[in-house]
Amino acid sequence: MTGRWRALLRLFAVQGTWNYERMLGVGMGYAAEPLLEDLKTVDPVRHGEAVVRSAEFFNCNPNLAGLALGATARAEYEDVPGPQIARLRTALCSPLGSLGDDLFWAGLVPALVGLALIAVVFGAGWWAILGFLVLYNAIRVGTAVWALKAGLDAGMRVGSAISASWIPRAIARIGPLAGAGIGLAVPLVAGWYLRGFGWSGGSGALAIAAAGLAVARWFGPSLTGVRFALLSMVLLLLFRRMGL
Amino acid sequence: MPLVLCRVDDRLVHGQVVIGWGRPLAIEFVALVDGGVATSQWEQDLYRMAVPPEIEVRFAATEDAAARLAEWQASDRRGLLLTGDIETMAALHRASPAVVHRINLGGIHHRAGRRERLPYLYLTDDEARALVALEADGAEVFAQDLPTSPVVELRNIV
Repeated sequence: MTGRWRALLRLFAVQGTWNYERMLGVGMGYAAEPLLEDLKTVDPVRHGEAVVRSAEFFNCNPNLAGLALGATARAEYEDVPGPQIARLRTALCSPLGSLGDDLFWAGLVPALVGLALIAVVFGAGWWAILGFLVLYNAIRVGTAVWALKAGLDAGMRVGSAISASWIPRAIARIGPLAGAGIGLAVPLVAGWYLRGFGWSGGSGALAIAAAGLAVARWFGPSLTGVRFALLSMVLLLLFRRMGL
Repeated sequence: MPLVLCRVDDRLVHGQVVIGWGRPLAIEFVALVDGGVATSQWEQDLYRMAVPPEIEVRFAATEDAAARLAEWQASDRRGLLLTGDIETMAALHRASPAVVHRINLGGIHHRAGRRERLPYLYLTDDEARALVALEADGAEVFAQDLPTSPVVELRNIV
């Protein structure tokens, strides 16, 4: 099977055509095309079906999409029945979404952001931001390379390959690190920002945090972080106008 | 506790279900009703992988699920009933209208013949008619992908 590197490069743009109709589907189809090229000479009919199948509705964390891409491409070459490949794609949306979100959005990103913020507080300045960007993207690219290879190696056995891989172990470790990183960064950054504001500034920040907790309990999940931040800004402007 | 949410979502178990609804509703088990998944060990393994260990996933085909609805409803654990299509949920409603009463349309995506009704809801005309029939049969049908999204009643969709 040729075209692995082209498929990998295309995978980095897998969200480029994200839409509600197929979500990552078109991006996956675009990335699958180089992998499926050899099938054109072996079985042109199957190739046509495979290309169509590869662009159907699909959604998962983009950093792990290579697992699904590689697994389904290999399954196409192994002549696995089309409906079974379609079922594999559907079923892979679940673990690749949830494991990827746990690993990146709930683990790696908050952990690295927390560490970068702590480094800023201790005077690292822009180097902290640069370090965050380099480290995060190195892990992201490394994961994408591994994911495509693991998918291609495993084919229909991709579920077992994921279970036996480093991903579940990494999630178990990165979660506590993210909690510790953000838990440490928040008071440090708050103290850093509030330097020079005295007790009144500190009390105001504490009051907003307490109000946020209370309102979150009252409104439940309908109060998102963005909504609360907007509400806080409005309240702050109001207080300033009132001279508080 | 009873089944606290009856949801139709063609992606079956995924983040919106486990995190979006699972956490605020304190879901302790997901009853996934799909004939194909119920007989496929590798698919079950994949879906289990998407769920945190504290949430149990129970797999069942439609007939089996219909027979177990009363048991799930009487369970001391909070459950979420999940099907991948309207037809399966309608069959469960017919089996136990009191248990499967308020039906959440959480995600039915594009495929040939379906038309967009909401960004996360595409229906064929037959599927839209099936939903209307469900309401005529006493069910309450509403669309809502996440608890933070607005509820859209069926009359505003079809």
